[in-house]
Amino acid sequence: MPEATIPTLFIPLFFLAVNIGQVSRTFPSSTPFLHGQGYVAFQLPVSLMFAVATATTGLAIVTEIDVGYFDKLLVAPIARSSIILGRLAADFVRCLAAAFLVLMVGLAFGARVHAGIPGAVLLVVMSASFGTAYAGLAVLVALKTRNVQTTQASFIVFFPLLFLTPNFVPLDRLTSLMRTLAHINPVTYVLQSIRSLILRGWVLSDLWPGILVIILTGVVLTGLCVRAIETYDR
Amino acid sequence: MSTSTTSVAIEARGLTRTFKGGVEAVRGIDLTINSGEVFGFLGPNGAGKTTTVRMLCTLLPLSGGAATVAGVDVVGKAAEVRRRIGVALQEIGLDPIQTGRELLELQCGLYGLRGGEVVERAKALLELVGLTDAADRRTKTYSGGMKRRLDLASALVHSPTVLFLDEPTTGLDPASRLTIWDEVRRINGDGTTVFLTTQYLEEADQLCDRIAIIDDGKIVASGTPEALKSELGHDVVSLTLDGGGADAVQSALAQLPGLERIASERDKLALYVEDGAGSIAEIVRGSDLRLASDPRRCLPARDRTAA
Repeated sequence: MPEATIPTLFIPLFFLAVNIGQVSRTFPSSTPFLHGQGYVAFQLPVSLMFAVATATTGLAIVTEIDVGYFDKLLVAPIARSSIILGRLAADFVRCLAAAFLVLMVGLAFGARVHAGIPGAVLLVVMSASFGTAYAGLAVLVALKTRNVQTTQASFIVFFPLLFLTPNFVPLDRLTSLMRTLAHINPVTYVLQSIRSLILRGWVLSDLWPGILVIILTGVVLTGLCVRAIETYDR
Repeated sequence: MSTSTTSVAIEARGLTRTFKGGVEAVRGIDLTINSGEVFGFLGPNGAGKTTTVRMLCTLLPLSGGAATVAGVDVVGKAAEVRRRIGVALQEIGLDPIQTGRELLELQCGLYGLRGGEVVERAKALLELVGLTDAADRRTKTYSGGMKRRLDLASALVHSPTVLFLDEPTTGLDPASRLTIWDEVRRINGDGTTVFLTTQYLEEADQLCDRIAIIDDGKIVASGTPEALKSELGHDVVSLTLDGGGADAVQSALAQLPGLERIASERDKLALYVEDGAGSIAEIVRGSDLRLASDPRRCLPARDRTAA
């Protein structure tokens, strides 16, 4: 649904434009960690994360709870887990579209994916998978609180997750406190995997930590959501 | 309103629900509802009507007791119960951006209908509830009555054997209420057992074969509307006598047909009778009363009270 996707793209694209505008003279393409590209290539993964990590699915579910449509689903002779999995499948499609659009904007600003077209496909799929996995958090809040405002507010959790990472500069340039926080923040590894595809190409040692984080996040959060709906009102 | 078969559609024994914090919403309800009946659950807000419906629909677990719906245990075989029941809850469950037709087609899919069946069934149901003209409009443009009718249709996609309606006419204008009543009668005419909750005595009286009155989580009375009315309700004819003579009138009326009791207070008599309007002529004749010219003093005040 375009009306659900377009507003969620405003913030990541705004940040991308502002960051590039303000920082690209400080970090010209001769900067070592940019591997010959402009700063936009370094910032693109942050925008991708921003575009896919939303509370949209949780909000859709809490709204259904609010208007009573959720009861209609619960009383239908279907597996309760399918209500969650169906929603997440729809979210995956939305995330694919959002990641693709942000990538296109990045390319228009001059970024290039060093890992080529297969790398570009992988980074879109990884971004979308992360967004879908992360969507479970808001779904969980929706099922547990059944409160629209709380579910909406759960989006705020992503700010520390996204900004306590090497988002502006590489990990080794961070102060020691920030570096420690970034190390224990799982989003760091997703960000670095995607960034590596853009700046360095196919570097397996950079890729697998990000993929592992996405899988673990998905298994844990989706698992908790399925359990929450199976035990809803039990 | 037919009771063609005598098999049991809903049976509950000692149904109990205690919410967190110890609130006892339903406190030991027994119900036996026969197939083909329209059964009314009548009670004020907070009496436990919705909680009972949600337990029978498998949406809430029981804190105690047991229940079968369409012959199936609601606890042990919830999935099987869900296949056999249709549910229209108090909160109308409609997605505002779907059209009526889309909503019904999705609902058909949830109940396992496929392909051409889905299109046909949605079309037939839209016709049944008179929404064919509005079928392709988004539900947010519907009036309250239209939403109720669509919700009702969505509960019928799989031709359930038992239909639960939780306050189907609350908040509707009188015309929409009559339309819903017609729908309920038509659905029941096709053999569907209907369990409905209502706050309205009139609705229960008009629609239901049998009624249970619930208050504070317990059934306080049950029976046919007629039986309940004669059990719980009297007509009261009150007489104001000029110049006394109450004792004489009282003994003259002792044999009045349908008289339950007479209460007297100074120059006033209250006659509790089954049928007030039908008894007035007999009262006047039997007591040899002459009606006074002041209408307030000769017209019998008709009142219906709970015993």
